[in-house]
Amino acid sequence: MKGKTIMSNREKYAQIFKDVFGVNDSELNEKFNFKEVEKWDSFAHLTLISELETTFDVMFETEDILHYGGYLNGMDILKRYGVEF
Amino acid sequence: MFLNIDEQQQDKLALIDNEDNRVTYGELVGLINAVGSKVEPRSLVFLLCKNTVGSMVGYLGFVEHEAVPVTLNAKIDNDLLTNLLKIYTPAYVWAPFEEAVRLEYEKIYECCGYALLKTGNELYPLNEKLQLCMTTSGTTGSPKLVRYKKGNLEANAKNVAIAFGWTKDERPICDLGMQYTMGLNVINTHLYVGATVLLTTYNLMSGEFWDYIKKERGTNFTGVPFSYDILYRLHFDRMDLPDLHTLSQGGGKLTDARFTQLAEYARKTGKRFIASFGTTETSARMACLPAELSITKIGSIGRAIPEGELFLIDEDGKEIVDPVAEGEMCYKGPNVTMGYAVCKEDLLKDDEFNGEYHTGDLARRDEDGCYYVTGRLSRFLKLLSFRVSLDQSERLIQQEFNIECACSGTDQRMNIYITDESKKAQVLEFIAEKTNLYKTLFKVLVVPEILRNESGKIRYMKMDAMYVG
Repeated sequence: MKGKTIMSNREKYAQIFKDVFGVNDSELNEKFNFKEVEKWDSFAHLTLISELETTFDVMFETEDILHYGGYLNGMDILKRYGVEF
Repeated sequence: MFLNIDEQQQDKLALIDNEDNRVTYGELVGLINAVGSKVEPRSLVFLLCKNTVGSMVGYLGFVEHEAVPVTLNAKIDNDLLTNLLKIYTPAYVWAPFEEAVRLEYEKIYECCGYALLKTGNELYPLNEKLQLCMTTSGTTGSPKLVRYKKGNLEANAKNVAIAFGWTKDERPICDLGMQYTMGLNVINTHLYVGATVLLTTYNLMSGEFWDYIKKERGTNFTGVPFSYDILYRLHFDRMDLPDLHTLSQGGGKLTDARFTQLAEYARKTGKRFIASFGTTETSARMACLPAELSITKIGSIGRAIPEGELFLIDEDGKEIVDPVAEGEMCYKGPNVTMGYAVCKEDLLKDDEFNGEYHTGDLARRDEDGCYYVTGRLSRFLKLLSFRVSLDQSERLIQQEFNIECACSGTDQRMNIYITDESKKAQVLEFIAEKTNLYKTLFKVLVVPEILRNESGKIRYMKMDAMYVG
């Protein structure tokens, strides 16, 4: 690999989940949601939301914070705020 | 009966949870007797707690039938649980089905999603006054327990109910874990007055939580400082919550800004905001600030609850009699527990606190007799309201990596100073795992040297000033 790689939005998105939950890529699939993931408590949720807002420069509405329940559904929410994957 | 549960209106709902369990006071009496009769009196029971009816039935049943529960989080780390089982050799474990599977003990009874497991361990003598044991936080894997004596929990339930003015019409939202003193106190206090307790395992930041409390018409909420960070992040002050009339705080100090925000919110909406203060060693609450004073006494924990007494001592341990003063805050009252245990022989020990507890917190008393916590004498932080010992964290890191280390910080974040750059990432990983807390609550700083004074004591304040600012 030459020079500095610029991360795609999808990579940045995955990196946030890996940092917050301490998991690797293979675990990030449709099953990665708040019901299945034991570590997904309110502190993880708050950290996740703050990291996403900073990284993608968005400001979530309350309803979207409350329903930000999974790795995949989260991308759909972000798309509504203009983030492209 | 414990908490006078059999004297409440028997057809009234006592407990509701988010697993579709609803039990009346009458039904609860039946369940308490059923589970209680399955255990030997004066036996130790590990209670793997969740905020559900099943967990509560076990707790109430064992206490009522003279067994001694040790409250632990149902999601307790396997190594820590194994260690505690080895140290305290309980005769029984009361665990939710999904956790019971990891323990290879015989199931002798089940109720509301919980199983009673018999370990086969022999009974051993427990002090006759002992009623319950609770971890002080458990985050650094310490086996240290606080020993509750008979009367502690009921005295605190009664006096907090009076201080807060709770009635049977309350429907408290109980999301703070019942394995911890504040969570358990909120539940006990409301059962004591015959209210309907709304137990929940939902996370405060999920849609389910808010659907649940709206549907079940929650009337009061008790939060730790972090709960209020979340509530404000969700703009709860813009939500329509007509049934919610009291917000209460415990477990760590709110910033003055947050305190003011809550007091203002309560004033504007005609609700009550009640700040309070407590510790595991005092069966939760020692003091609270009457709602009507919240706007004028920002940051205060108020005065002692009924039957209790707050006082200050100086560096020589003498009581400070001046009305306006600052010193170490101490408390006397019927909710002061018996002492600590670090091994099973300690469970036979008699009362060592004798009704008086020195908090290790520095406090100021104003001209109206209201107290303000201003600092801490002992070296621990409350990260997300979990007590984490700084000295123990230092020792763990030193032992694991064989490096120099100093820990300091605030209740928002622990600062870990090390001199070996190559260990930075591993130290962070290690301490997060050992405390079972998030990495973002720790900052590892690599410094040229750990500063010490002439006698070799680490100069934490100097280092914080130099590197953290």
